[in-house]
Amino acid sequence: MPKTVLPPLVVLAICLFVLPLVLSALWVKVVTSAAIFALAAAGISVLFAQLGLINLAQIALVGVGGWIALRLNYATPLPVTLIIAIAGIATAAIGAVLALPALRMRGLYLALVTLMAAGAFQILFNAFQFPNGGEGFWGVARQSAADIRPPLMVQTDVGYLRYSIVIVALCFGLVALHRVTAPGRAWAMIRQSEANAMAAGVNVTFYKIWAFALSGLLAGVAGALLSGALGQLDPRSFLASEGILLFALAVVGGAYSWAGAVIAGILYKLLPALLNDFGVSADIALIVFGGALLHAIMTAPRGIAGQLIGALQRKPS
Amino acid sequence: MINIENLTVKYGGVVALDGLTLTVTDDVMGLIGPNGAGKTTMTNAFSGFAPITAGRIVIDGMNLLELAPHKRARWGVSRSFQKVQIVGDLTVAEHLLAVCDAKGIKRNERVGVIGTVLDFAGISACRDMLGDSLNPYQKRMTEIAKCLIGAPKIILLDEPGGGLSESEMQDLRRIITQTKNRFGAQIIMVDHDVDLIRDVCTSIAVLDFGKLIAFGPTREVLQDEAVKTAYLGR
Repeated sequence: MPKTVLPPLVVLAICLFVLPLVLSALWVKVVTSAAIFALAAAGISVLFAQLGLINLAQIALVGVGGWIALRLNYATPLPVTLIIAIAGIATAAIGAVLALPALRMRGLYLALVTLMAAGAFQILFNAFQFPNGGEGFWGVARQSAADIRPPLMVQTDVGYLRYSIVIVALCFGLVALHRVTAPGRAWAMIRQSEANAMAAGVNVTFYKIWAFALSGLLAGVAGALLSGALGQLDPRSFLASEGILLFALAVVGGAYSWAGAVIAGILYKLLPALLNDFGVSADIALIVFGGALLHAIMTAPRGIAGQLIGALQRKPS
Repeated sequence: MINIENLTVKYGGVVALDGLTLTVTDDVMGLIGPNGAGKTTMTNAFSGFAPITAGRIVIDGMNLLELAPHKRARWGVSRSFQKVQIVGDLTVAEHLLAVCDAKGIKRNERVGVIGTVLDFAGISACRDMLGDSLNPYQKRMTEIAKCLIGAPKIILLDEPGGGLSESEMQDLRRIITQTKNRFGAQIIMVDHDVDLIRDVCTSIAVLDFGKLIAFGPTREVLQDEAVKTAYLGR
């Protein structure tokens, strides 16, 4: 077994078998959310690390995935796992549309376009809300939300934590597979320079769109999982500013490895909850994140994950 | 055979190539001229990176300009860049695999194809080294190995000799002169090194201010008074 496969499997085993035993009911929910947002952060990392593209609209795509999953859950009798797959694929298609400006722009300009998109989705979510079991296409009723179906054989919060972690792990595997096969190599050529990629015969347009679609798929699956974890979604969770925060944390965690996405998920959901638990305002987390971002930009371009991996690989002298 | 007909490239008001007409039948043609003469612009015109306003490039009956840049590469236009394009975190073999992916080389043929080009470029030992750990010569040879994959019809080399030592230049000479026989590709080479040009090119085209000022067998062109004035400053 290659060395690189072992650490993620160990972490997966701990998450599946140890965490459910030691966490209290409240923390099971928090860790579920953290795992889900780790998946969303992985989508940001695909674009940032593989192509150097900045996508601030990931949180909006998480919302889109969540909307689709809720809508299908109320409107159809489809199995929940299938709904999650459909939400992922549909969000991937919307992510691919976001790729169109990226064919012409990069850097700050692309970041601005994605921020505008995030702002547009924020307005849409506010205006139409998330389905809660009501009538019609938008499915919003002026009442408390109706229950949604859980996945088969998942009765408890602990079960849903395990279910989420398995799906997140599968998606991480999908990303890893991309990195070592043709798309990963094509992305590397494009990252070097688009002229270089084209001169080698790489279809730059296709592979850029593919990267956005993969990123969108991860966001859509994350959104669908989130809707199942919370039972209902609140437009305030999907503000454009949250998209900026999630991007920043993906960089802080480390965009170049799966561990970075896990760290981003932990920072995004676990740290504020921990601060609350200590009786400190969760807003302190924002200050910590700001400092961490400065640190990452100045001294650790590969993020916390890069520093950890570097420390582990260094041989004792 | 490569037919360039009335090729014109303009960057805004600057005419980088001015009605260039040229038929290349030699295995290795040198393209020389002073800085800013339009040499790199011409290689970019082949690749599809230059704004062509008029003219055609026809190779073996195929009008190149009808194809998108990546399709030209798949059809058989390979090139290296003046500044080597090696990705730091890909191995040499992965660079070559990326080209195999793009050019649709079948899975069961890849190991053979990659082995052949690595051996020809003399860098078989670097197969699993990361781009970052290669020296400039190994990077240059990796670029050339990339160019050889997928039965190229023409290879454009933009200053392949830049920064190489004399013994490394000997390897480069061998590679350039044997490419047509081994891989069937014509080479157009841009370089400033007159010794290298004299040794490997059977014909030379000389550009100055976007115009063709001389074209013919190497020895004759290098003796041409107009060429000496424009290029050698004599």
